[in-house]
Amino acid sequence: MIPAELPAALREAISADLKPVRPLSPLWRRTLLVGAVAVAVLIAVVTGRSLRPDLATLSMVAGWGATLLELFVGTVLIGLSLRESVPGLALGQGAIAAAVGLGAVANVLTVAATWLGSSWVAPHGLPFTAGAVCSRAETIFGIPALVVTLILVARALPLRPHVVGLLAGFGAGLIGDGINHLLCPSSDLRHVLVWHTGVIVLLALLGWAAGLTWEYYEARRA
Amino acid sequence: MVGYQKGNMDDFTALYSELEQPLRRYLWTFVRNGSTVDDLLQTTFLQIHRARASYTPPRPLKPWVYAITRHVALMHLRSQRRRHEVTPEENLPEVPIPPAVELLGDRALARRMLMELPRPAQEVLILHHMLGLSFEEVGKVIGTSAGAAKVRSHRALKILREQMAENGASS
Repeated sequence: MIPAELPAALREAISADLKPVRPLSPLWRRTLLVGAVAVAVLIAVVTGRSLRPDLATLSMVAGWGATLLELFVGTVLIGLSLRESVPGLALGQGAIAAAVGLGAVANVLTVAATWLGSSWVAPHGLPFTAGAVCSRAETIFGIPALVVTLILVARALPLRPHVVGLLAGFGAGLIGDGINHLLCPSSDLRHVLVWHTGVIVLLALLGWAAGLTWEYYEARRA
Repeated sequence: MVGYQKGNMDDFTALYSELEQPLRRYLWTFVRNGSTVDDLLQTTFLQIHRARASYTPPRPLKPWVYAITRHVALMHLRSQRRRHEVTPEENLPEVPIPPAVELLGDRALARRMLMELPRPAQEVLILHHMLGLSFEEVGKVIGTSAGAAKVRSHRALKILREQMAENGASS
């Protein structure tokens, strides 16, 4: 086989931008970085805000356990999104479904822990205000991990941005919910499902939609 | 690849020489037009350049490269569909076929039947049997498990075998 000659236009384009690059750090290290950010937010919340008044009456598992479970699973989902953002490491459909299922199970367990372990219900007329406070807090707690994830994703080349966005949004939502679990004492299932789980679903859908938009513009550029 | 990541142009040239033919073969799975394949090949190398930091040695290079190539081809097909463009198809006498397909019988018939297979089936056959990727690597390129890639390859070979038997009987 005759070795192919590099086309002049390609040579010129590559030569014009041939600065050395540092390869991405290993996946575990990038995931750990996001996990560290989530833990830092948790520490800031625990030290800077008053925790739910019924935390002492909740069992260790229903209180801190549920928080740590969501933080862990959220970080795992973000780790998978970081993996998916590297070409040649695409996740199979089964793995994506399993990851989403794992996140859903973690949230169901947290919802159940709140529902079974606490008795506070927002007074009549307050549900919307209480819900808005919770959903805002949850979003804010999830955003630092999401921002770090997006920076790390941008260094790679996501070939299926909608999958990356879905997993990253879901993961960030779980992290936010896990931290908020230590603040919100409501056991009203409607409140928890709409304003807590709702935020997780919303962040996952936003990530998915952002990924689709990215793909759309990339296809337009092609 | 490591030298190229450090900014060495000679290493990029060597990478191009090594990958040009296999990538061209793979692109033929998506596009049956010589000049479009040339364009897509250039775009692929520009994408490889853009994403060069995302390759982490000592991970195998092939899944990384073919995943980028596949993405470039799929983006092209998508944009073509959006613009309702039709690229004229050309005959592909010079494109080699996987040995596993060649074993099925008449070479010309095998090539024709291979090209008539649905693209996902063709893609797995080419990636595994011709370009030498393991099923695990194929899965990482196309976004399935290794098992699913293997099943797809077996099904494709079975369809090919059946079609060739049918065609051989009728001719």
